[in-house]
Amino acid sequence: MLRVLSRRLYSTATAEKWDLYAGVLVERLPVISKTLSPVEKEFQDQLWKIEYENSLKSDHEMQHEKDVRQAQLLKKGEVEVDLDEISSQQTAQDKKDAYIEEHKSFEFAPRITTDDKADNVKSTNRKLEDILYLIVEQKLGTDSHMLLPQGKREDGESLRQTAERVLKTACGDQLKPTFYGNAPVGFYKYKYPSKARKESVGAKVFFFRSSVQGSEGHEIKEGVKFEWQDKMGLEKKLSGGYSDSVQKFLF
Amino acid sequence: MSSLLNVFSRLSVRSTGISFLVDNARAISTTPILLAEPLKKKKKLDPAIIRQRDERKRKKLEKQIRRLEKNSRQLKPIDELEVPLELLDEKSARTRVLPKLSEEVQEQRVLLQKKWAHYKLEERVADFQIIDRVLQSQKKALEELRKESEDLYQEAIQPDLKLTPISFTGPVNTPPIKGYVSPDGDYIDISKKWE
Repeated sequence: MLRVLSRRLYSTATAEKWDLYAGVLVERLPVISKTLSPVEKEFQDQLWKIEYENSLKSDHEMQHEKDVRQAQLLKKGEVEVDLDEISSQQTAQDKKDAYIEEHKSFEFAPRITTDDKADNVKSTNRKLEDILYLIVEQKLGTDSHMLLPQGKREDGESLRQTAERVLKTACGDQLKPTFYGNAPVGFYKYKYPSKARKESVGAKVFFFRSSVQGSEGHEIKEGVKFEWQDKMGLEKKLSGGYSDSVQKFLF
Repeated sequence: MSSLLNVFSRLSVRSTGISFLVDNARAISTTPILLAEPLKKKKKLDPAIIRQRDERKRKKLEKQIRRLEKNSRQLKPIDELEVPLELLDEKSARTRVLPKLSEEVQEQRVLLQKKWAHYKLEERVADFQIIDRVLQSQKKALEELRKESEDLYQEAIQPDLKLTPISFTGPVNTPPIKGYVSPDGDYIDISKKWE
C-alpha cells in the first residue's frame, strides 16, 4: 500500500520525459604508499629518535662493543690470542658491511616510472601514489567530449546492468573492474539543445563507482580514445557542471 | 502415668473406702533399659598395613589431582609477551648511556608533538568533509532515481551479494619489480605446535 502510494507520489512529479543514462567511474587504486609530507617526515624522525633512546642495545651492538674491546686489548698486547682464530672470526662490523653490500646490490623498482616521465596518459603505470580515473571519448549529439564512459538505459535493465554493459561496449572485455554495489554514487542531468529535442527533454546520468587494482593489465579496446587522469587532470579535462557533479563523489 | 494412678486411687477411695488398693499403686514400676555392653578390645594393627593404607589414600588423591590438571585447559605461552631472560640479566649492560637532552631539544619535541596533533586534526576534519560530500552525492543520486522510477530505485538499493568476499592488496612502499624471480629457498614453518 505504502509502496503504491509512494510510487504515485514520485511518478506524478515527472511530467517531462528524461532519458536515463548510466555512467561508470573506473578508478585505478594507488599502487604505492604516499610520500610523507614535511610534517609527517619530521614527526617520523622524532619518533624514531625517541624509540632509539628508549631501546636496549641489541645483540649486534653488544658484539660490536665486545669486538672493539678485544681489539684494544690486542693493541696493548695484554692478551695472547691465536692470530689464525682472530682472522677467521667475523666481527659485527664485517657482518654489517656484508648486509649493507647486499642491500645495495638489490635494486628496488623506481617509484617514478618511465610513463611518469613521458607523461603517458594512456598508461596505468604512472602516478602510482594516486588514484587514476578513466575517461573516454564520447559522442554527445554531434560533438565529441572526453567523459566517463556512459550510455543509455535499455528497457528491462537495472541501472547497474546498464553500467556494466556500457563499460564493456566502450572499453572491451579486458577491463574488469569491481563495481561497488548497485546504488549510483553520483548524478548529473543536462538538457538537449532545443533543436535536437524529440521526445525527451534531456538526459539524467547516474554514475557508478568501480575500481581496478595493480599498475598493469587494464587494456582498453583498440580504436578508443581514452586517458587515465588523476584528480587534477580530470578537473581540467571535464568541463562545467559535469565536472562539478563528478568531483562531488571523488575522494 | 502417675496421674492415671491418682485417678485409680481416688476411684478406689470413693467407691469403697476399703484401703487395700491404695498401696498397690507402688507395685507398678519400670526398669531402666540397660544399653551398656562390655568394652571391645582395641585391635592392634600392624604398622605396615597402616602405612600401606595411607599410601593408598595418598595415591588416590594424587591421581585425582593429576586428572584435574590434565583436564584444565592448557594455555599456550605467548613468547612475544615474555621478556627474554637475557634482557633481564643484562639490563644494566644493555641500557644506553646517552647525554641528557637539552631543554631546547625537549621544547622542540613538545612543539612538534603539538604541531602533529593539529595536523592530524585537520586531516581528520578534511576526511569527514570528503565522506560527507560523497554520501551527499549518493543520496542525491538515489533521490533523483526515485523520482524517475520506483522500481529502478528499489533495484538500486539492494545489497550486492557478489561484492563479498573482496580483497585488496597494497599500497606498498615500492612497486613490484616486473618479472622478478624470487631466490630459491624452502619455506620452513618453525612455529610451535600446541595440542
